[in-house]
Amino acid sequence: MTEALPAFDIVPALPEVFLLLAGMALLVVGAMRDKDASRVVTPLAALALLVAALFVIGADKTADPIFSGHFVFDSFAAFLKVVILAGSAVSIVLAQGYLEDQELDRFEFPLLILFSSLGMCMMVSANSFLALYMALELQSLPLYVLAAFNRDQLRSTEAGLKYFVLGALASGMLLYGCSLVYGFTGTILFDDLGAMLLGTENGTLELGIGALVGLVFIAAGLAFKLSAVPFHMWAPDVYEGAPTPVTAFFAAAPKVAAVGLTLRVLMQPFGPVAGEWQQIIVFIAIASMLLGAFAAIRQTNIKRLLAYSGIGHIGFALVGLAAGTERGIYGVLIYMTIYLVMTLGTFTVVLMMRRQGRYIETIDDLAGLSSTRPLMAAAMAIFMFSLAGIPPLAGFFGKLYVFMAAVEAGLTPLAVLGVLASVVGAYYYLRIVKLMYFDEPAEAFDRQGRLELQAICAVSAVLVLGFILIPGPLLATAQAAAAALMP
Amino acid sequence: MTPHLLLFYLFATVAVAAAVMVVSARNPVHSVLFLILTFFNAAALFILIGAEFLAMVLVVVYVGAVAVLFMFVVMMLNVNFVRMRQGFLQYLPVGGLIGVILLVELILVAGTWVVADTPEAIEPRPTTAGLTNTEALGNVFYTEYFYLFQAAGVILLVAIIGAIALTLRDRGNIRRQDIGEQVHRDRASAVQLRKVKSRAGI
Amino acid sequence: MDSLWTGTIWPLAVIVFYILLIAVPLMVAMAYLTYAERKIIGAMQLRQGPMTVGPYGLLQPIADGVKLFFKETVIPTGANKIVFVMAPMVTFILALVGWAVIPFGAGIVLADINVGILYLLAISSLGVYGIIMAGWASNSRYAFLGALRSSAQMISYEIAIGLIIISVLITAGSLNLSEIVMAQDGLWYIIPHFPMFMIFMVAILAETNRHPFDLPEDESTLVTGYNVEYSSMTFALFFLGEYMNMILMSAIAVILFLGGWLPPLNIFPLTLIPGPIWFILKVCFVLFCFIWARATLPRYRYDQLMRLGWKILLPFSLLWVVLTSGFLVYFDMLPR
Repeated sequence: MTEALPAFDIVPALPEVFLLLAGMALLVVGAMRDKDASRVVTPLAALALLVAALFVIGADKTADPIFSGHFVFDSFAAFLKVVILAGSAVSIVLAQGYLEDQELDRFEFPLLILFSSLGMCMMVSANSFLALYMALELQSLPLYVLAAFNRDQLRSTEAGLKYFVLGALASGMLLYGCSLVYGFTGTILFDDLGAMLLGTENGTLELGIGALVGLVFIAAGLAFKLSAVPFHMWAPDVYEGAPTPVTAFFAAAPKVAAVGLTLRVLMQPFGPVAGEWQQIIVFIAIASMLLGAFAAIRQTNIKRLLAYSGIGHIGFALVGLAAGTERGIYGVLIYMTIYLVMTLGTFTVVLMMRRQGRYIETIDDLAGLSSTRPLMAAAMAIFMFSLAGIPPLAGFFGKLYVFMAAVEAGLTPLAVLGVLASVVGAYYYLRIVKLMYFDEPAEAFDRQGRLELQAICAVSAVLVLGFILIPGPLLATAQAAAAALMP
Repeated sequence: MTPHLLLFYLFATVAVAAAVMVVSARNPVHSVLFLILTFFNAAALFILIGAEFLAMVLVVVYVGAVAVLFMFVVMMLNVNFVRMRQGFLQYLPVGGLIGVILLVELILVAGTWVVADTPEAIEPRPTTAGLTNTEALGNVFYTEYFYLFQAAGVILLVAIIGAIALTLRDRGNIRRQDIGEQVHRDRASAVQLRKVKSRAGI
Repeated sequence: MDSLWTGTIWPLAVIVFYILLIAVPLMVAMAYLTYAERKIIGAMQLRQGPMTVGPYGLLQPIADGVKLFFKETVIPTGANKIVFVMAPMVTFILALVGWAVIPFGAGIVLADINVGILYLLAISSLGVYGIIMAGWASNSRYAFLGALRSSAQMISYEIAIGLIIISVLITAGSLNLSEIVMAQDGLWYIIPHFPMFMIFMVAILAETNRHPFDLPEDESTLVTGYNVEYSSMTFALFFLGEYMNMILMSAIAVILFLGGWLPPLNIFPLTLIPGPIWFILKVCFVLFCFIWARATLPRYRYDQLMRLGWKILLPFSLLWVVLTSGFLVYFDMLPR
């Protein structure tokens, strides 16, 4: 009855295994050390994430799915994992100064980010509906806690609670969708489902209404995690209420992971029935782009503004997915990578907005920044131009690739709408630039003592500026990653 | 098969009725008690289809742990649910509309349901050849679903970390018992012998 | 109709008969457990214990029962009547139903189910309901405090019990109680799992709210805790339930660690004595330990109790699970 346990092939999952072990080891370290736990754990956690990224880069990307087909490691997963791990590592480093100032520097913070990143890696490697759900929960649970991390502040706990309740609802929808798909197709493995759908008649496919409803639920659950319209309501409140470095983290890596997961689910198992989900994605993309553009105009809080900006950007990225072609996937991957860099850069600037030791977050506080802090203003201007998609900055190319893919796939109206939305969006990005350069200077910000913030800010600005000069490496790897996703 | 069927209908009816009472009972503690009743009947239904392991785990986990926590919270918070229900009617149109939409969807889904024509498909099939429930589950848990099983463990670990991070506070003024210190006290440090002079005190 | 008679009603009647066969002696045993408790504690404290009713006070438990039966049942005005009355019933019934899976001898068991030990775990995890319902329904602060203490305590120690059971399961390779007993043929688990046996004894003391962990009934701070508002038969049911639980927990300890109905050594004079007798003797031994602890140990403080459960017993039993499974895998001794 009990045979010897099978030897598991865990080599493709080495980055995850390493992260898990590192996380548990750091947990012990943190619990053992009394006072300075966070000072020890934080750099080690960031280091662990980077080492895991190295594991990813060095690994063989052609392996078969492992763990009975629940886990797959291909170029697509590898690409996203590197982006996610780097983004998370930067988020941890970013946070330390703020946390120390607010006396929130507990060692759980980097650990939660680490475990969340583990969940994200598992998300982009998920190859079955159960693995998808588990990974998504593992990614979300730390996020709920992080949102409420400043537990003595009402806004933070409110953000955490709101995020938790809505997130749990979304997870429920997702799980319901998964169970419907399982019930009507009889498999939870992506490979099996894809083969099954591909096996039916040439192109014209019968998904069955039950599985179709399941697909809609899954799409809705994923849209929530992406904060795409019409499941975006939580984003502005959570972004505003959560501590700023947490917001920076929310806006960066988890979005990339959620996009990656959405791409894999829709392109691989449901790839053969692209016609069924394309309209959903088109609608979500249009709604997100328009809402992101118009709702952001009236915002006065920079974090809320960035929340709406994030919603808009998800809309743009989904344009590439709506195309459903390899070019589209390629565009989405490039878009999300560039988005991650721009967002993290912008948040370093937000984290530097400090007056007399207090962190401030209204847009008006940026007035006249060019005369008091010229370098900071220049970096912010670069990020804003890039977010608006103005050539020759990186943000422009991200949009270019997704719109091109959409046009090639015959979705010209969608691309036109996207361009219009980005024109409207440019208004509020440029308003910030105008505030910084042409308005009366407000009181100067505190001189920034933290080297890592300045370094991250500078590096992101250089990356955004320099993308046009050396786009090669990113484009080549994204190309390979996109190819891996196509059947 | 008659008693089997009879038992099924008994448990199923009680389960549904108790579930209705969970949402309609006025006293929240009664709601929790009805919830427990529902769990019990669900466990009984599991036993009827030969899934005894699931039945027991359902009772241990849901009744023995989850519902106890519910009970604790409900009793300690003393929530006034009657007041919470006020204004219920104003949400009725929207809620009703969503309910109708869901019902239509369910009917559409059920419309495509193909009932298997082989009656053995609905027979209770406890396990494959001679294995008990527990062995059958264990055989797939630690092989085919090993990855998911581990992932679930990590999720629980994160939940613990999160709960501690959000609630643990170091209270400085608390006096903790240090057993090591107590045990290490010896006669020399605890007892002092002094000559006390008559009528002088110490 | 014939098939209905032979197929349904007759087996049902047989089961009911078996149930009575277990339950009635149990009631008597429980009654005389209270007598034994008073006598043993009396002896330990150099008193005589009950002596007046009957020879050597042997009829004392019956007199107590009659007294409780004829008293008036008082239900407080502020109480939630249904829950108030239900609580003692729940306690009592739960203490009884656990016996369904206890094997008294080879094949002498009411329901020989595959997941017997899980069933017992489930039943014991429900014990908390009777107490918390009583505490809440009494609408009295003392009762509620007692109930809170008791539920926190029971939940805490249940975890240790669960882990101990896992150690035993891994060694025995089955969840069926009879098979667990048979696996101990030759080597009772008290020998390889001695530390776990000790922890199990401590944990069942806490689980049954017995001394030195009887804080829920702490008469000096809580005027007897959760059952303070109960009188006559409702009180008697709690009382019965508590003692029945003691016997049940002793039986579980015997099955898990002391080889159930097996004789200590498989040699001639010992094998003559039938299994059930061995079983009862062992249960009596464990029960004696219960009473012994009550007579000799002072009561724990509440924080000490929690500390013991969470910081000592739980990690240690978890470690033991890892050690046991590691040992069994390494030496290839896993039960097949």
